[in-house]
Amino acid sequence: MTFPPLRKILAPVFLAILLMLTACGTKTPSRWDQAQQDSTNKRTQIQRDNTQKRTPTPNAPNRAPVVGKPLSGATFNKFFPAASGGYQRVYTQEKQGFAEAKLKKGSKDLAVLSISDTANNPTAVQKFQQSSQKIGGYPAVSQGNNGTAILVGDRFQVKIQSRDPAFTQSDREAWLQKFNLSGLARTR
Amino acid sequence: MSKPIFQLVDELPTNNMTIFVLRSLDFVVPGEWQNVVGFTNTVRHVTGETDEELIQQIGERAIYLYNDKSQGYQRAMWLYQTVDSADAALGAAAIANKVGDKIPLLGGLLTKVTPKAEKAQTIDLSLKLVVELVAFCQINGIPGDSIGDFVASLGEYSGESLMRMAGLVCIDGLIPLGSDFILKGLSYLSQTTPSDLEQNNTFNSVKSLIPGGSTAGQLSFITESFDSVKGWMTGFVAERGLTPEKVVSNMQRFVEISSDKLDYLGAFLDMTTNYYEHTGTQTLARRLIERASAEI
Repeated sequence: MTFPPLRKILAPVFLAILLMLTACGTKTPSRWDQAQQDSTNKRTQIQRDNTQKRTPTPNAPNRAPVVGKPLSGATFNKFFPAASGGYQRVYTQEKQGFAEAKLKKGSKDLAVLSISDTANNPTAVQKFQQSSQKIGGYPAVSQGNNGTAILVGDRFQVKIQSRDPAFTQSDREAWLQKFNLSGLARTR
Repeated sequence: MSKPIFQLVDELPTNNMTIFVLRSLDFVVPGEWQNVVGFTNTVRHVTGETDEELIQQIGERAIYLYNDKSQGYQRAMWLYQTVDSADAALGAAAIANKVGDKIPLLGGLLTKVTPKAEKAQTIDLSLKLVVELVAFCQINGIPGDSIGDFVASLGEYSGESLMRMAGLVCIDGLIPLGSDFILKGLSYLSQTTPSDLEQNNTFNSVKSLIPGGSTAGQLSFITESFDSVKGWMTGFVAERGLTPEKVVSNMQRFVEISSDKLDYLGAFLDMTTNYYEHTGTQTLARRLIERASAEI
């Protein structure tokens, strides 16, 4: 009985190990890698203009003016529309510069109402600068299938996002005007 | 460094012990839980948006928020991960032992688990409740201007959050402690000393984020938390007519166990599932994406 030379046995073994190692080491790139890298880099801040990456302008970054520190989320609660006519308003989040409530009827979620301070995210202001639409006298935009937003006092974004198809664009426009917008505009 | 949020959501499993168990609890909260996995998919699911550019903006904002440690999302994730202590190898072994559609929880597998003493199980149950309370505040803040607003926001538990609570009641309450798990729990907690708590592994893992200052202060926070949700838990059990037998008979679709071995079933589920981490990741991702979508 003869044995094949050792190197003939070892060669495929090594090849298999090499393939396994390279397969393990290769990570599929993700569409989210860049954001992860940017937001964990100490030199970049959360307010970073994230559209910069798509249209790099290194010397003249297209940033909105920074308006100082975001206000506490609790500041915004009192400007939300009151519940009435079978609707319920349930507050769901309150973070620095952000407050959110659900609008419900019975057990059904109709929409998400929110006020956010663009001091958290100055990029959000840009879309209003490019829009000629107004709701209640404030610059307004539609976003995607479900969102309508206005910019109040050049700083606070008031947004409604539908969670039920029955809650339409015109419902969003009507409910945006039920917020205490003039009170919010005076807030600093 | 801990994993990026998109990776955590992308890696959520679709076919393991945790998923089998959660599916078997659908009868408790019918239709509430869908196993939504994948970060991009979750953005679509939560917002109902289809425009890729918009989805990209929402996802990126969510990643920025998660990576800002001052926002509290990473602390909440750590709590959900730490309070569960699943043994992945045992879970995989259990699935490998499947006969037909069922895992026979007899013989070899049974010798690998040791039921916990009821007092230790009570501490685990109470810690999961406290973790839920602390994680809720880390994720959502304290919404509204009054206690009533805050209680209303807690009452909004639905989807994967409600499923997590169903798991808590069934897997950490009814199965290991029996029908009177709420009264038993309160009674054990009243006999628990700070040094009992210090000997509990789960407590030692999460204690840095439990309010109360000293161990004695933390023990009273834990006891008060348990006491304040006992009404909710009693209602949850009563409205659905939940009993250990009912829960086990639903689980017997995928695990073979005799009903006189419930303490072993409890220990086995404790070791082979991480339902808190799984549904906690889903809850956190949902709230984070909701906020991102509102802020962009």
